[in-house]
Amino acid sequence: MREALEAVLGPVSEPVLLAGGASKEAWAVDAGGEQLLVRRAAVGVIHRHTLSLRDEFAVIEAAYEAGVKVPRPVLYIEDLDGREAFVMERIPGETIGRRIVRMEPVPPSLPLELAEQLAKIHAIPPERVPFLHHAQLERLVDELDEVGEPHPAIELGLWWLRENRPPPREPVVVHGDFRIGNVAVDGNGLVGVLDWEFAHLDDPARDLAFGLVRAWRFGVDDKRLGGIGEVEPFLERYNEVTGRGIGLEELDYWEVAGNVAWAIGCLTQARRHLTGQDRSVELAILGRLGAEVEYEICDLLETAGAP
Amino acid sequence: MSERPTPQELAEAIEEFLSAEILPTLDDQRLRFRMLVALNALGILHRELAKLPPEDDAEQRELAARIRAGDVPPGTLARIKADVQRRLLTNSPRHLDRY
Repeated sequence: MREALEAVLGPVSEPVLLAGGASKEAWAVDAGGEQLLVRRAAVGVIHRHTLSLRDEFAVIEAAYEAGVKVPRPVLYIEDLDGREAFVMERIPGETIGRRIVRMEPVPPSLPLELAEQLAKIHAIPPERVPFLHHAQLERLVDELDEVGEPHPAIELGLWWLRENRPPPREPVVVHGDFRIGNVAVDGNGLVGVLDWEFAHLDDPARDLAFGLVRAWRFGVDDKRLGGIGEVEPFLERYNEVTGRGIGLEELDYWEVAGNVAWAIGCLTQARRHLTGQDRSVELAILGRLGAEVEYEICDLLETAGAP
Repeated sequence: MSERPTPQELAEAIEEFLSAEILPTLDDQRLRFRMLVALNALGILHRELAKLPPEDDAEQRELAARIRAGDVPPGTLARIKADVQRRLLTNSPRHLDRY
């Protein structure tokens, strides 16, 4: 790995493989006095509903240009020791969700900073990233059908989403996985927005609501905004910056959508284990823990008055 | 209803993890020996579970198909919620305390 990196970066320190990241390896390496992070495709990952590393790198570049707090993109490498990879700045800060929600204190500026970053992401010109597709609810149905297991709670969620669709908003570039767990945070607040592989074009409210999903509150359930704060000031700040006037009821709708997407995500992750694509207990057990998300869908639908 | 991973598949996943990722890290001879015994036991569990007939998911399939077709009579949510609650009692019992 060191040799392969030196071929493109010049002299580097011995690369260290970091923990975590099922679909991409993460290597820490220093070069030219800079701390860098190398993301490299893991073995056997099929990009069906996520971006290739090439496209993800291009989205990070576009975000960086748009003034979003992201690690500075350095280089895309088509073939790094046999797999595609990209290099970016290695930023400090906590990224483990469970630890962020238990920071003492959680930086008080964090909710507003998250709103400001979303406003900037949603202002990225779509023509700058022309390979991004517009996601539709139907794609979730396709993903569920690919799994092929009966899950009535998810079906009911999808039915409710079809029946209660708010008037569509002009699609914008969305991060697609914007939540605690995919941002770096230190004592002063937000350091950077990470993990762009789910970027696509969508209703902006979708991106605002994904971080409300109970699974991403990491046990601090009474703080609806990702276990770190209240939703109202966050939404107000976003509307202030963008002038979009997104309402709380839209977030309610997209929170259900976020839970349905994650319930299906649990099943597709488990599939990666079951099909032998990527054997791992961690992925396997998601097939069972998806029941937690289905319960949340039921709870939200009950509040919404579904039959 | 039948859920994936099945009990057999879960036992298999643990077996693979312990033998591929944990066993090679054990230097203590006593621990190594006991891990091998535990893996034997897991193998028995795995093969016992393989003998069980697959659970019947016809009812869940029918319900899912009806909802997909837009047939959602009153009481649908209550029925589904009770089913999910039952699954949670196995999959993640403490989760219910969060509500």
